[in-house]
Amino acid sequence: MNSGAYRWFPIPALLLLVLAYLVPLSQVLMISVTDPELGLGNYALLVTSPSIARVLATTARICVITATAALVLGYVVAYCMTQARPAVRRLMLVGVLLPLWVSVLARSFAWVTLLRREGVVNSVLMGAGLIQSPLPLMWNEFGVSVGMIHTMLPYAILPMASHMRGLDPALMAAARGMGASRAQAFRRVFLPLSLPGVIGAGVLVLIFSLGFYVTPVLLGGGRVRMVAEYISLQIQELLQWGTGTMLATALIAAIGLLLFLLSRAVGLRALSGAR
Amino acid sequence: MTQEFGDDLRLLGRRGLLGGVAAASFAPSLVRAAVPEVVMCNWGGDAMKAFNDAFVGPYATSTGGKLVLDGSGPTNGKIRAMVEAKNVSWDLCDSGVTGLAELATRNLLAPIDYTVVDKSKVEPAFAYEYGVCNYMFSSVMAWDTTRVKGTPTMADFFDLKKIPGKRMIRKDSQAMIEMALVADGVPIDKLYPMDVDRAIAKFQTIKDSILTWDTGAQSQSLLRDGEVSMGWLWHTRATLLKREPNSKIDWNFTGGVLQPGLWVVPKGNPAGKQAMMAIASMQDPANQVKLLSALGNGPANPKAAPLVPEDLRSIDPGYPSNAAVQSLINADWYHDNHGKTFKRFLDFLSA
Amino acid sequence: MEGPGRGIRGTAWTVILFLLLPLAVVLPVSLTDQPYLSLPLHTLSLQYYANLLHSADWQSSILQSLLVACVSAGIAVILGTLCAIGCWRMGDHWAKAIQALMLIPIVVPTIVYALGLYRFYAQLGLLDTLLGIILAHAVTAIPYVVVIVSTGLSGVDARLEQAARSLGAGPIVAMRRVLLPLLRPAMLSGGLFAFVHSWDELVIVLFIAGRRVFTLPRRMWDGINDKLDPTLAAVAVLLVILSAALLFLDLWLRARREQT
Repeated sequence: MNSGAYRWFPIPALLLLVLAYLVPLSQVLMISVTDPELGLGNYALLVTSPSIARVLATTARICVITATAALVLGYVVAYCMTQARPAVRRLMLVGVLLPLWVSVLARSFAWVTLLRREGVVNSVLMGAGLIQSPLPLMWNEFGVSVGMIHTMLPYAILPMASHMRGLDPALMAAARGMGASRAQAFRRVFLPLSLPGVIGAGVLVLIFSLGFYVTPVLLGGGRVRMVAEYISLQIQELLQWGTGTMLATALIAAIGLLLFLLSRAVGLRALSGAR
Repeated sequence: MTQEFGDDLRLLGRRGLLGGVAAASFAPSLVRAAVPEVVMCNWGGDAMKAFNDAFVGPYATSTGGKLVLDGSGPTNGKIRAMVEAKNVSWDLCDSGVTGLAELATRNLLAPIDYTVVDKSKVEPAFAYEYGVCNYMFSSVMAWDTTRVKGTPTMADFFDLKKIPGKRMIRKDSQAMIEMALVADGVPIDKLYPMDVDRAIAKFQTIKDSILTWDTGAQSQSLLRDGEVSMGWLWHTRATLLKREPNSKIDWNFTGGVLQPGLWVVPKGNPAGKQAMMAIASMQDPANQVKLLSALGNGPANPKAAPLVPEDLRSIDPGYPSNAAVQSLINADWYHDNHGKTFKRFLDFLSA
Repeated sequence: MEGPGRGIRGTAWTVILFLLLPLAVVLPVSLTDQPYLSLPLHTLSLQYYANLLHSADWQSSILQSLLVACVSAGIAVILGTLCAIGCWRMGDHWAKAIQALMLIPIVVPTIVYALGLYRFYAQLGLLDTLLGIILAHAVTAIPYVVVIVSTGLSGVDARLEQAARSLGAGPIVAMRRVLLPLLRPAMLSGGLFAFVHSWDELVIVLFIAGRRVFTLPRRMWDGINDKLDPTLAAVAVLLVILSAALLFLDLWLRARREQT
């Protein structure tokens, strides 16, 4: 088979990546071993600094919560979209796409309006007599997670839905025809076939949530410190560029390792979308 | 509108990869005027118009030069990036004591030339080697009058039984450490060297009730929305809150921290010595009073006090009667302690 | 074909309502009579829409952002799709390495890239130019396109494309006739994310822009930082109405086509 021509397809993207991204990035990552002095002192902080350990733990916890919730809830939406009549599917698509047009800043302030002590949600719940005093919905990890899950849902739904639509509906019908219950047909046929979409969406959502900056700052009330804010502080305020760039390098290494393990676990073809 | 968009399109290739084409359209600006343009960078928003109204016209009249504003925010990180890339686009940056601490220790600033800038026209405590006061502001205590009866003391900030409700502080150790120590009984003139452990221990007593703010606008909304019953914030924001119709917010200077907004000059700034001329021009007391009435930023020049109209005296942080009840921030202490104190404070908040 | 159960459908619609919840707040906030972001207190006001439509600053920012977002999303979709298809067909360790490499722009915290970009652009004279922002947004948007198109490709039967090739179609023709129609939904969502990424991107812009480049996020940040300017709610509502109108027009056109 002549797949030689396809080898050239990634070249333009790679060129742009190298010239506009990797070249400037590698210059700056070098700072992690040169600032404030030559050596691996910054990397030692990974094991010696309790505050970095705490920031990384908070980040990992919130990212896993966010990615899991976005994938599970998003899967349900994507599945229903695939199974729905075309008109209903498009209506659902409208619902998924519209929030993308509200900037992250405006969205965060909408959550403040909804979730604060005297906010809409607490007022409604108290008015209905369901609670006696306001619930602490904001200025904590709960508020941050709500905001992040909301932002991540479209990024989970769309890749899964577009993948599910490519699956052959005849397979499900065949399983049903052979006497499988609806739940069985789903579990035995649809779910395994849809897994590559879930993995693709999961990688995107998990990595994307690592970089959240605005939402934790505005909804965390100073209590929830994630790695993007920590790095930004090192670079913009404290001028500890070595620490900031070290953390960025460590993130790249950690994600690289994660992807490597993932590709081992599920097979590299599933991950690269190849068959 | 089309005209503007045309300008925007031209930006596509400003002396860049399309440099050849663009050079022609930018040729006029490359011709050096007799007096180089001075670029002054601040934090944007309403300050753009206020600085423009107060200083740009008078500077043009007195020197024949041009003072230009850039509101993109002179963060320490960006100043370091500029200086190290030898591509400095700002002459004057609106910084502060902590900015000075990080920038000056790394040799990123040009010294203030006090043969041009008049040291007698600035509060002596706020004229430093690498930065000079351009206005004054305070960190003060404000409270919700529907929840606080009478005028609270600094100690009341930590008394959750007496005054229930959350407390708001800035997500920055600067001034917050001072105010915690004052609340704990340290006299305002005996704060330095500061006992950071003691301040953190004080905050620890109300930790679960603390909310923090990042931007001035956020500090206003937390108080306005009733999320907190008391808060420490900039006096400029407290003033705006109190002026709102049907406001329930009151505040005073007692126990606050008087701080300088500082002009710093990045090393290798484009206009060179002309930056010092611009600073000198902005020392005029009458123009500084204009900034006070527009933004609430207090005049840096002590000689401005007699010019402050009566109705503005109560909000002028450096006015003698107001300065008397506040502590004065100590830049030398920050020079040695800022980085570790700030980190310690943030660790405490997120622990 | 029978659909999913009622409980599942109920959950799906609840999630969609959750997605729309902030919109339900942003709409009244955009009509506030107060000078800061808040629900209207006494009366409804259109002042922030008027501000948006009459202010040269806001208009210039909208046009700048539109240009940057369209061009950078266009670049990202073309290069990203090509890259995904190439990797899909190669299917070897090289493909895996390229795809992992393409993820780097979303792994690295943006401020770190912005710092590197500043030093790099200072040498090239690209600081504070739209071209500089476009390149930065395009390269940081490629990961979205690569991931989504790759995910779309994993549902495509490679034999379809092989069949086209065996009938004598070259790779370009096979791609245009067979693959691209199948990939349309994935490319559209990738392009949408790429557009939104640029439309909402603040960190790079704040770091490499100066007096000239003033994109919409920077304008909104300037307003919100200083005084919680409600104009950004009006921007959001106008965009939502515009995109909802386009989406519904599309629905209507499709419905008509299906009827005839």
